[in-house]
Amino acid sequence: MTARPAAREPLEETAGNGEMDDLTLVRHAKKEDISAYDVLVRRYQERIYATVYHMTSNHEDANDLTQETFIKAFRALKSFKGDSSFYTWIYRIAVNKTINFLKQRKNRVQMSLNDVDFNAENDPDLVALSSERTPRRDLNLSELQEKLNGAMKKLSEHHRMVVTLHDVQGLSHEEIGKIMDCNVGTVRSRLFYARQQLQAHLSDYLK
Amino acid sequence: MNSDPGEFEALRKLMALKRHELPPPGYFNRLPDQIAARLQRGEGKPRFWENFLAQFTFRPAFAYGFALAAFGALTMSAIYSVGMQPRQSAQTTPHNRWRAGAQDEALAWQSNPSEPLHVASWMGNANSSNPAPSLPSLFGPGAHNPAVLVPVSFASPP
Repeated sequence: MTARPAAREPLEETAGNGEMDDLTLVRHAKKEDISAYDVLVRRYQERIYATVYHMTSNHEDANDLTQETFIKAFRALKSFKGDSSFYTWIYRIAVNKTINFLKQRKNRVQMSLNDVDFNAENDPDLVALSSERTPRRDLNLSELQEKLNGAMKKLSEHHRMVVTLHDVQGLSHEEIGKIMDCNVGTVRSRLFYARQQLQAHLSDYLK
Repeated sequence: MNSDPGEFEALRKLMALKRHELPPPGYFNRLPDQIAARLQRGEGKPRFWENFLAQFTFRPAFAYGFALAAFGALTMSAIYSVGMQPRQSAQTTPHNRWRAGAQDEALAWQSNPSEPLHVASWMGNANSSNPAPSLPSLFGPGAHNPAVLVPVSFASPP
């Protein structure tokens, strides 16, 4: 790890819970304060990484795209006017980067899936799925993971993004509309169409 | 699209299982350091032309001004090149000298058709030390040389 810049303005403004709010950190980061930006990176890295990962189904690509997203955002901070939240703004950069990446690769991305954490087996939804008498009953976790990712890869980039943001990450339609720069109606229709397609691809597990 | 909200509930639960896919342990401890290191190395800094293009994005007045200047320069160069065209065609070079000579010769012959048209002179090899041979004119005076006129007879030979 390289040394951080030593001298910088004291970060006094907080959001009330001892943590700096995003806009204060952005103001410091605009002055090339990498340590202020580091706080923002730590705050949003998991959500940005997860979004990119669920779109690409590849850890290495997700790692590269996440790093590039944060680097591009830092260099473009001067253009951030604060009209939207930093969270929405950086999400938008990640989404555009990922969609461009997938279009360039034309979805020729090899799957390199992350491990499923140990808590998954205790997930009530998975327990419910496994307890039912369906063809998926004897399905193991990694097989299910591959099926889910395979079904996701059959969707177009925009449909996959809506499913990722809504069903996997739990964002609202309004937030997705702001991130993807489209209205709520478009988000809803994309989600409906994507779910229909997914339902067809995963019909064996949804009976 | 106006379907039962519960229609996709099972699918939504299935997709939510993807949340359990996590990167290798310690990944999120290393990632911020890797990003900070790349930023300190100056990665991602916009190049000159990117800065230049950014001016157009944020300053439309500058973009219109630049477009107007470019259009003006293009128009001026077009007008200048049209004005230069006749003068350039009048200039003779070693490559087009024969053509220019031929044109002069043709114009002279048009004004005085009695003068013979010397092919060699406009081919570029006629000069004072090597004069081109004067060819008999087919159309000028003396063209009707009786010596070369052969009477034609259509009577069969005896």
